[in-house]
Amino acid sequence: MTDLLREIFQTLKCNKLRTSLTGLAVAWGIFMLITLVGMTKGVINSFEKQTASQGSNTINVWPGVTSEPWHGYREGRDVELRTGDMEKLRQTDRQKISDVSSSVYGGGTISTAHEYTSSGYEGVYPSEQRRRGFKMAAGRFINDIDMNQKRKVMVLGEQMVPILFPDKTPAEVIGEKVDCQGLGWTVVGVYESRWSRSVYIPFSTARMLAGNSDKIGSIVVEMTGVETESQGTDLENDIRATLAAAHDFRPTDQSAVWTWNRFTQFLKMQSGMGILNTAMWIIGIFTLLSGIVGVSNIMFVSVRERTHEIGIRRAIGARPRSILTQVIMESVAITSLFGYIGILMGIGLTELLARIFDGSDFITDPRVDISLALEVTAVLIIAGALAGLFPAINALKVKPVEALRDE
Amino acid sequence: MITLKDINKTYPGAAPLHVLKDISLNIGRGELVSIMGASGSGKSTLLNILGILDGYDSGEYWLDGKLIKNLSENRAADLRNRMIGFVFQSFNLISYKDAADNVALPLFYQGVGRRKRRALAMEQLEKLGLADRAHHLPGELSGGQKQRVAIARSLITRPSIILADEPTGALDSRTSKEVMQIFRDLNSQQGMTIAIVTHDPGVGEQTNRIIRISDGRIV
Ligand SMILES: Nc1ncnc2c1ncn2[C@@H]1O[C@H](COP(=O)(O)OP(=O)(O)OP(=O)(O)O)[C@@H](O)[C@H]1O
Ligand SMILES: [Mg+2]
Repeated sequence: MTDLLREIFQTLKCNKLRTSLTGLAVAWGIFMLITLVGMTKGVINSFEKQTASQGSNTINVWPGVTSEPWHGYREGRDVELRTGDMEKLRQTDRQKISDVSSSVYGGGTISTAHEYTSSGYEGVYPSEQRRRGFKMAAGRFINDIDMNQKRKVMVLGEQMVPILFPDKTPAEVIGEKVDCQGLGWTVVGVYESRWSRSVYIPFSTARMLAGNSDKIGSIVVEMTGVETESQGTDLENDIRATLAAAHDFRPTDQSAVWTWNRFTQFLKMQSGMGILNTAMWIIGIFTLLSGIVGVSNIMFVSVRERTHEIGIRRAIGARPRSILTQVIMESVAITSLFGYIGILMGIGLTELLARIFDGSDFITDPRVDISLALEVTAVLIIAGALAGLFPAINALKVKPVEALRDE
Repeated sequence: MITLKDINKTYPGAAPLHVLKDISLNIGRGELVSIMGASGSGKSTLLNILGILDGYDSGEYWLDGKLIKNLSENRAADLRNRMIGFVFQSFNLISYKDAADNVALPLFYQGVGRRKRRALAMEQLEKLGLADRAHHLPGELSGGQKQRVAIARSLITRPSIILADEPTGALDSRTSKEVMQIFRDLNSQQGMTIAIVTHDPGVGEQTNRIIRISDGRIV
């Protein structure tokens, strides 16, 4: 085996320029494939991370302005969402609607004895933690008891801890008091996040601060068991119908309430990602293929040039199979050697991109896993063998008498 | 060693050419013979058949007691490798392999390990006085040296017979004599059977027997 390899490298070495030019095409093909696959993976990763952190099974609803007259009302009427609407939405479809919640924002400073921040707060339901995918660095999130008792409790983001409590760890912050809106609050939890600075309090408490008005700025409907785009759209229409009945606007009036169906959007994005992925593979594989065809061509040329040599080898006792193996192995050697260089360069570039885009939302972890590299190696060997097969069959047609013929 | 019975060979084509006509011939073990004849008389064709490089249409060819007829490519390759040593007019060395590797190449196809191959090749080159040229490429050798490397290559598998097609055709008279001397020594000292195709009457004279061929027939 090592003998055969030595034999092959000896022949490849005689044609350094040709070998390396051909090899370059293969290396470039593999390099493109790995880079494209890595980039695509990065984009898909960041898409998946975003949907995972924000949830893809929600419909957000905001109040709007009617654009059509209805039941004696004129167009241009403001629609106002109220807390009562949330219960009505819950009743709309008990099977498919698993949770209805809302949030309110409030401004103002949050301060400790020495430090303060003017980030404001957000009054939320306990389910907000699930939707946002928050992990707790310490303590807990808002819970139902907080909601029922309208407790003055607060959940901070990790980023807020060094601002408000410069010498404390998240765990040490639990139970500390802060001031907001002239009231004293207890910190009950710190969530992990590298960038969010939102401060959360119970929705009920926030409403109380807002003077117990039942007007709300938005509603989030969480759905379950919705699998197809049409189911998602149907549910969205049901929600509109419920609100239309409650607020007396035409159910088809698109501007009366605004909705954002993350599920149908997710499906569209997902199919977009699928297309992107396929496109990248096709481009990559064709680039690689052109490299392989180049190798095959070069092997044809090489076999033709070496007709006399092959004749000599046949005359002194090379079996047809040895010739076949040698040509195929030469082709495999070129493709895998240079393919390997391409893999290394591709991995190097994706690694570099991973560093550059570290922490960005656009591309997340474009590194290709080692299993892909191994698969590609296997593909290279097979492709190299195929590229060499036809030239090798040509080589077999060389009869041993060729050796005796004078050039 | 070699027995031919009524061998016929026609090159097919638009105008088929009947090159060998009822050739019958005996070459005994340990003989040194030359085959002579005009250009185009069929000498090389005959030698190709003897070397199992080419087939024939009718008749029988016995080599060392084996009937050589309708062999598979593999069988023919093995017989060439083990029983026949070739020496060509144009040397037919592989240009990117050094002398020792060229000499060792037939052993590669027998599956002999590299180290043993090199050792045997060195031994063979030494016998032919080329030990100091073992690591030179063919391009760095003179014609006579190249032909000696080719002879070393033909001997490395200890074949039953050496077939040489115009081995001195590309050499000057002095190196021709040297090469012929090698053949004579191999024949007289080791009892090697040798058949040499040649144009040169001087070469023919140095063999035990001259087989003359004219227009595809032995005369
Ligand atoms: N492969 C072939 N196809 C068709 N005709 C051929 C082939 N090889 C040789 N011939 C013809 O067969 C005849 C004998 O050729 P051969 O090579 O045996 O002659 P030769 O005696 O060796 O001649 P020379 O002394 O010139 O080498 C020639 O007329 C040649 O043209
Ligand atoms: Mg001839």
